[in-house]
Amino acid sequence: MHDGWRVLPIAALVLAPAAVYATEYLSVEAAQRAAFPEATAFVPVPLNLDAEARARLAEVAHPPGAHDPRVWRAMAGGKLLGTFYADAVIGKQEYIGYSLALDAAGHVLRVDILDYRETHGWEIRNASWRAQFTGKSATDPVEVGRDIANISGATLSCHHVTDGVRRLLALNALLPRP
Amino acid sequence: MPSSPVPERWSRRAQVSLGTLVEVALPAAAATEPRFAAAFAAIAHVHRKMSPHHPRSDLARIARGAHRRAVRVDPETYAVLELAKTLAAETGGAFDVTVAPVLSRQGLLPARAAGRGARSGQMQALRLERGLRVGADVPLALDLGGIAKGHAVDRAIAALRAAGAPSGLVNAGGDLAVFGSENWMPIRVRHPGNPAVLLWLFDVKDAGVATSADYFREGHSALVGRNRRLRPFPGSITVIAPTCMLADALTKVVALQPARARALLARYRAHAFQLDAGEDGLGARTTCMASTAHLRLLPALAA
Repeated sequence: MHDGWRVLPIAALVLAPAAVYATEYLSVEAAQRAAFPEATAFVPVPLNLDAEARARLAEVAHPPGAHDPRVWRAMAGGKLLGTFYADAVIGKQEYIGYSLALDAAGHVLRVDILDYRETHGWEIRNASWRAQFTGKSATDPVEVGRDIANISGATLSCHHVTDGVRRLLALNALLPRP
Repeated sequence: MPSSPVPERWSRRAQVSLGTLVEVALPAAAATEPRFAAAFAAIAHVHRKMSPHHPRSDLARIARGAHRRAVRVDPETYAVLELAKTLAAETGGAFDVTVAPVLSRQGLLPARAAGRGARSGQMQALRLERGLRVGADVPLALDLGGIAKGHAVDRAIAALRAAGAPSGLVNAGGDLAVFGSENWMPIRVRHPGNPAVLLWLFDVKDAGVATSADYFREGHSALVGRNRRLRPFPGSITVIAPTCMLADALTKVVALQPARARALLARYRAHAFQLDAGEDGLGARTTCMASTAHLRLLPALAA
């Protein structure tokens, strides 16, 4: 106390251990509209990647995405506006869904985070740690995906998203021109 | 007991910038794409000007030539450097943004960010001249990692206001600010011993909040101590201040000089929480003696 700091009652601090952080920001449809507001249709592009294409992609960015991205052509009537990708990157402790919008020339229009979860790999590992809260009253439980937590403190690294975008750009170069 | 946390519906967007997840939230009724775009553009501007990774950033230009001829920088870079210089003076040089060479040696910044011939501990060599010019008495390699993110949040908030948003929230990787809401905004801080667990300590209104910790081993430039080594930092420090830039910078001041921090926090109308995860559980201290117009403590803490 000599330096003017006050010790806090610790029990009070652990009253409200919240659930792990997860947020959905944008649906795929909303992200498409935000990127191409003037589009009249989003036409799915089937991805039929052969082994050679996959190998080339793997050279561009590691690790490759969990599953193949989804791809659409954004159209205004008969005119091509650009290409829209929905993809996800999975790190050790996080899952990040994101979208990439490219203009008709293949330049990046925008990258949006669709959803973000930090649960990955943590919940099980922390089961015993979390057990210490059993019986405490959770005055403000944060339900995953519904309530929103404003967290002060570092988020997980987002460099996987950068890797993911690089991979999608490489994939875009492999797609047949519309 | 603070009231329910989400009295109004918020619409949220997130993008990757400043090397982290940047989140912008607006009340659903006021959530328009141009407002979100304005906020993210303000963040992107700071990233371009103040990234140590970007070869055309103001920092890269200062490292290349400010010691030969003063470099004209963006007004925002200038403003951030002004606060950095003030805090350096107020902390006897402990708050130091000339630490890029140290961070580079530690692998926290790429080698090219180290600058040629630059050394840390050179804040007195940084000259802020008229006409937004930055000069240096010796080669300098700056890292604004301990302050620029907070500034970026403030600029995004200003952009939301300018775009007519009645209220909003911007959170850049844990440095956040909120404005305009009638309601108190509950803020969670990660448990330093287990970052997956979120603790609810306080609510804020029209304030900036920042937390420094290395649970995910991020580089925190100003935590480089006098011996130019990264200090081990087992806990976390959260600061609530009138702006996010102040909150961001003051977390480093508290970490470096806890005994002297209180006077500085009072001068800037800021409060700090320090959480420590020890073997016997969670320890916590605060400089905050009472709730204020922009900060409301949980009742258990305010007692």
